[in-house]
Amino acid sequence: MENPERGQAVKPWLSQYGDHIDEMLSTPSHPSLPAAMIEAAEEYADQIAFTTVMPNGMYGSLRYREVDEMSDAFAYYLREVLGLESGDRVALQMPNCLSYPVCMLGILKAGCVVVNTNPLYTPEEMRHQFSDSGAKALVIVDLFADKLEEVLGETPVEHVVITRVPEFFPAVVKQITYGVMKYWNRAIPAHNVQATRLPTALEQGRKAGSGRPDYYSELGHDDLALLQYTGGTTGVAKGGMLSHGNLLWNLAQIRAMTAARMNPGEEVVLTALPLYHIFACSVNFMTMFLAGARNILVPSPRPIQRVQRAMENYKITWLTGVNTLYNALLNEEWFVAFPPKHIKAAAGGGAAMHHAVVEAWEEMVGAPLVEGYGLTEASPVVCFQPLQGERKSGTIGIPVPMTDIKLVDDDNNIVADGEAGELCVKGPQIMQGYWNRPEETAKTIKDGWLHTGDVAEMDPDGTFRIVDRKKDMILVSGFNVYPNEIEDVLSRHGKVLEAAVIGVPSEKSGEEVWAFVVKRDETLSKEELVTHCRESLTGYKRPKKIEFREDLPKTPIGKILRRELRDEVLGG
Amino acid sequence: MLTELETTLLGVMMIIIMLGMGSSLTFKDFAIALRKPQAIIVGMVCQYGLMPLTAFLLATAFGLRPEYTIGLILMGCMPGGTTSNIFVYFSKGRLSLSILMTVCSTLMAIVMVPVTMSLYSRGLEGEWAIPPDQIISLLFVLLVPTVIGIALRKFNANVGAVLELMGGVIGVIVIIFLLASWIPRNWDLLMATGPIIYACSIGLGLIGFGLGYFLAKNLWLDPIRARTISMETGIQNGPLAILIVAMVFTDERQQLVLLIPILYSMFIVMTSTVICLWYRKITDREVIARDNAKIGAIRET
Repeated sequence: MENPERGQAVKPWLSQYGDHIDEMLSTPSHPSLPAAMIEAAEEYADQIAFTTVMPNGMYGSLRYREVDEMSDAFAYYLREVLGLESGDRVALQMPNCLSYPVCMLGILKAGCVVVNTNPLYTPEEMRHQFSDSGAKALVIVDLFADKLEEVLGETPVEHVVITRVPEFFPAVVKQITYGVMKYWNRAIPAHNVQATRLPTALEQGRKAGSGRPDYYSELGHDDLALLQYTGGTTGVAKGGMLSHGNLLWNLAQIRAMTAARMNPGEEVVLTALPLYHIFACSVNFMTMFLAGARNILVPSPRPIQRVQRAMENYKITWLTGVNTLYNALLNEEWFVAFPPKHIKAAAGGGAAMHHAVVEAWEEMVGAPLVEGYGLTEASPVVCFQPLQGERKSGTIGIPVPMTDIKLVDDDNNIVADGEAGELCVKGPQIMQGYWNRPEETAKTIKDGWLHTGDVAEMDPDGTFRIVDRKKDMILVSGFNVYPNEIEDVLSRHGKVLEAAVIGVPSEKSGEEVWAFVVKRDETLSKEELVTHCRESLTGYKRPKKIEFREDLPKTPIGKILRRELRDEVLGG
Repeated sequence: MLTELETTLLGVMMIIIMLGMGSSLTFKDFAIALRKPQAIIVGMVCQYGLMPLTAFLLATAFGLRPEYTIGLILMGCMPGGTTSNIFVYFSKGRLSLSILMTVCSTLMAIVMVPVTMSLYSRGLEGEWAIPPDQIISLLFVLLVPTVIGIALRKFNANVGAVLELMGGVIGVIVIIFLLASWIPRNWDLLMATGPIIYACSIGLGLIGFGLGYFLAKNLWLDPIRARTISMETGIQNGPLAILIVAMVFTDERQQLVLLIPILYSMFIVMTSTVICLWYRKITDREVIARDNAKIGAIRET
């Protein structure tokens, strides 16, 4: 496929597609996400679609047929009872639970737009996101209703639906789980929000309409499906506009990369990452739903022990995670004693995977841990290591089909072969823009190329390697130091659990490298680490200061927040 | 005396308690725990080493009469009680360690209770002896629901978790039920009982809390594990001791032997509550201290 706009004259990665990845994908045949998902729900009607597993092993499940029927009812509720219209925004704010897929699919069937919202947001962040997106309705989990009460009046939200983590569980189990959360853990706050309980909303929806609603029948690829907020860790959160077409394309791309190890209707996927995050939303929820998989939802994987029963009680064949999640699992006794036996593949993304983690995982589990790369603005998947053939560890693999990548310097010129440059992506999965922010959009998408802010290198065979975030790069006496590299070296030391590296201003060298380390073994000393770094790192890359921590600040999906460490150091 | 109805009810409830206890664990949990068995070994040493010895020394020191001695030693030789798991949870201890210790000591009971009983009750042959074969057969019967519970947990986690909860709740109900029906009928006996008997009944639990803590602490276990082992050691399976006495002594001797197990069960609920609140406070303080240390480290940089 020749493209005059691209700089890399050929697409060297195409040779790695081999027989098992389709180079050319045809335009997704379904006009919208609900159309595709309804087809899957009908095909796999009697199979279990979702199972939520509590830390003690208690669980509740929904079959495809039930998810389909309930989401029809929710669509009727939104349109007929609340009077919403096509294109109206509806926010979802809950941890992984059975209500999430029901509401998500219901909103899409109603022709409305989903606004995924992190349940751990502060009231101020909630106010910003609901106002910015113009959400008219909100489905929120009862755990956080008290935060909503503080800001509800300052947002455009007119209708609130409340759900519970054990919603749709068997009656006795639901009451026990709810009772323990409310009276024992005191996790469910009192509030005065005027709200409808989700089961009541579904009842009202069933009365308002029957049979298949057809609100979604007019949707096309260009219509908006999802407002996915991003940039919350760097400043004001912006809503990435992902259309039905963006997501359908990305689902097809993910399917093309995974088809070799995916048996439709037979997979069991562990979802410990939050569904409100685009990675789990696209990969775990939508891709696996279309493949007729059973999705094991873990409401909160922290501490990681909460995943134990989900891992033990189900024959997990796929899972997704970030480096910190895999690392945490590898440090759990129960996991090491009985590693899961049925895993076909695990996918890692969100932040750079460390060699030591990937190696230890593959040795213990005996199945590949493939690393990928994506971002909210790309629905999210851009690159993945191929599941067949040779995999190069420490890389993000090759672009998914129909995706083009170029590496550019600060003047937007394509860098020479082998040089590092900012990774730019072009493909059908790239978002339409940032919601109501044309200037931000113009800065990010130039001539159809999405500028990611990540610095990458390309091997001659078309494999990409993320060097680091452009803005995390440390400049020591004029030399570029990438925190990822230093963190990787540190975490290779057997007594290190995890590490974060930041740049701190220095009179001598402009910036200097500081490392924050969480010990795996209490006996670890700074001297040992200094010696260890001296063996693998040249002088300017070695940390000038090493500090031991009990833990490191992380985002909800477990990315280490270097910025927060920097703020702590500079602000204190 | 326990009435026939009370004895039968106690037996049925004991079966449910054991079913619930089994349901709190899977075979994998055992296998995992046995990979790093330090804490379990320390716990078992407390359970079957320190507690029977404490009971024996108390009885000897106070020169208890044989009918009380046998009750006290039996109490000391009992495995851990399921109520300890609830107290450990509330005291913010290690619930997994607590459950594991309870189940391990219950499974080992079939060997350890007869062995420790015959060791410490030598000289009590005759009318006050508890024949080991009777203990073994009773414990064997109770092993069956325990194992069924473990299997149920594996078969269906929802059934397992509901049984686990039921077992814990019924454990408390049994004690309340027995006390409520037994105390009024035996008020005169309680009034006539001397302070030494009370001291032994209360002291067994309290000494158990203390010894468990110090042994665990001195064997380099962290404070949270040490506090968990402490509660596990102090809290014995009172209803089981009562059931054994009720099955073995069917005449008026029962009344006398039952006294200490019943007093122990009554007071352990109170002492455990106090200890639990105290441990909870310590745990909270440690968490705050750790947070402060972190903030301090940030300020220094």
